[in-house]
Amino acid sequence: MTKRSTFIKNKRSHRFLSRFHIESRILLLLGAFVFIAAFFSITEERFLTPRSISSMAFQCPEIGLMALSMAITMIIGGINLSINDTANLSALMAGLFLVKLASPTATADYMSFFIIGIAILIALVTGLLCGVLNGVLVGYIGVPPILATLATLTLYRGISVVVTGGKTLTGFPKQLSVIGHQTVVGIPISFIILVAMGVLMYVIFKYTTFGFKARMLGTNPTAAKFSGINSKSITMKIYILSGILGAIAGIIVMSRINSVAYEYGTRTYILLTLLISVLGGISPGFGNVIGVLFATFILQILSTGFHMLLLGVRGSSFFKDFSWGVLLIVFLIIDYFMHHRERMV
Amino acid sequence: MKKLVNSREFVLFLILVLVSVAISIKNSSFFSASTLFDIIRSSLVYCIMAFGVLMVLISGNVDISFVAIAAMTSYSTHMLLLKLVYTGDITLYFVIAISMGLLAGLLMGFIITQFNLPIFYVSLGYMTLWYGFNLFFIGATMNFDLPEGMVGYYARFLVKVRDPVVGEAGLHISVIYLVVIAVFIWWLLKYTIFGRGLYAIGGNREVAIRTGYNVKRITYTMLALVGILAAIAGVTQSGYSRSFNPVLFMGKELDVIAAVVIGGASITGGRGTVLGSILGVMLIEVLNRGLIFAGIPAEWQKMVVGLALIIFISIPAIAEQRAKRSRYIAVPKENREE
Repeated sequence: MTKRSTFIKNKRSHRFLSRFHIESRILLLLGAFVFIAAFFSITEERFLTPRSISSMAFQCPEIGLMALSMAITMIIGGINLSINDTANLSALMAGLFLVKLASPTATADYMSFFIIGIAILIALVTGLLCGVLNGVLVGYIGVPPILATLATLTLYRGISVVVTGGKTLTGFPKQLSVIGHQTVVGIPISFIILVAMGVLMYVIFKYTTFGFKARMLGTNPTAAKFSGINSKSITMKIYILSGILGAIAGIIVMSRINSVAYEYGTRTYILLTLLISVLGGISPGFGNVIGVLFATFILQILSTGFHMLLLGVRGSSFFKDFSWGVLLIVFLIIDYFMHHRERMV
Repeated sequence: MKKLVNSREFVLFLILVLVSVAISIKNSSFFSASTLFDIIRSSLVYCIMAFGVLMVLISGNVDISFVAIAAMTSYSTHMLLLKLVYTGDITLYFVIAISMGLLAGLLMGFIITQFNLPIFYVSLGYMTLWYGFNLFFIGATMNFDLPEGMVGYYARFLVKVRDPVVGEAGLHISVIYLVVIAVFIWWLLKYTIFGRGLYAIGGNREVAIRTGYNVKRITYTMLALVGILAAIAGVTQSGYSRSFNPVLFMGKELDVIAAVVIGGASITGGRGTVLGSILGVMLIEVLNRGLIFAGIPAEWQKMVVGLALIIFISIPAIAEQRAKRSRYIAVPKENREE
């Protein structure tokens, strides 16, 4: 925590513990990451190859961004169940624009880059608007976030179905796939976006007044209110930020698989992002967004690792679900032993 | 009388009637016994699961793992009995699935009470875990082989009526489960220390502990009941569809929670009723089904449901804000237990 925020818990021991809390979760995640990676590297020779590492780096940004967008709403004590559909809707809006205007066979000229730029802008604005609706419902009308975002989830999915008629959009210009398929010095662009966004969120929540207020709102909304924090505007801004992150995830999905559908990931992604956030140590008012990144990487290596290890076994790709669930519960229990024992009754 | 008119259940019932009448005016074939039976049949399993969700919500927690428990218990029971070449009827399914649900609930209770963990966080992992368990260890495909005794289960009706449109329509016998369970849960919530304890914990956990409620035991009982109810719902649904699905109810957990909250349960705890939950589930089912009857194009339905949901959840929130503004010190009406 920052120096400024230490007055929340002004006892020396608490200050030490709260500092310890954040660092310990990151250390724990880092340890688990190294341990699991080492385990797979030893048991599976195909795991530690450039090919599999790059495929993992290409796969995790979309879910990582959605998890970030979930995590920042959880820090203010909310939740955003509509992120996956925000992502899909944003990508669909951009996709509709691209299908209308650009031809897939166009050669690389600045015009198509310009069109793609506008399409990305459309996606971001759509994400922003989705966030505004969530923010109005949660912040200004006072609907419990879990319900408000569940309703908007249905609405956004509904709009996505209406605008496409339930069809999958394909045939985007070649240049679009740059985001999802190209690398810079060996690192996928989408992965760089994920890390950049993670660092940006980290800076916002750690070093700005806004982030500090958001944390206070998550720790104790009543106290925050009486300290003169405008909880409505903070809530609104967080949900807008969340919507924009969702839109970025949508663009990456669109660029990676070169198509958009209203139902992409709808069955599992929402709860997966929640799982990542909780695993990353996010709880109202506390948590470090860098933990979310690590949690994403851990789930990704578990998924890839078990897939390779159990290749040929029936239903091998489902073992990851089992391992994720076990991992989360084990983490929560370790967390309890490390510093939550004194908390609660 | 005034209390009745002001109650959430009454308002919900009115909305339900209004929506039904509106759809019936648009399409008269909606107003029939067969539609009613159909709606009851398809919302029944969700109602049963909703009672479990209701208890958890009253205690001020959120649980989403019940769908996975429903899938795991029903599918594992089926695969086990298939291996044993069982030919009897559905009773044994219920017995085995319920005991599995009970165990799953108790295990979750153990994790939660032993390590003082929030139910929501654990249930996230628990849900992923059980679906993964089902798919990896038990089987990843839907199974359509039914034992002899279960073949006719989907068409075992309590009453039958002649219907001009669809011929013969019946009310499935599983409606008995719903009535029995609903009365049982209502009794539990209203007249037992367990039920009162749930409201007390949801209202204020600290006060409940100081008053002397055994929070650990209540948590265990609650989660065991959630597991049992999920198992009943899972087997019943599989009986309806004549197939056993390893990912049964996947993605439905949030819908059930939404239905219960629309039915008047508070997401922060301390409030909620059995009747409200049933009405909440029914309302969503009527909306989903009614839109087809009302002739709204399929691709518009999801959007209309979303808009309706936003309106349903915004109205009480706005009313609550107003009440808070007008009566700042007095105990708000929403905090009463009824």
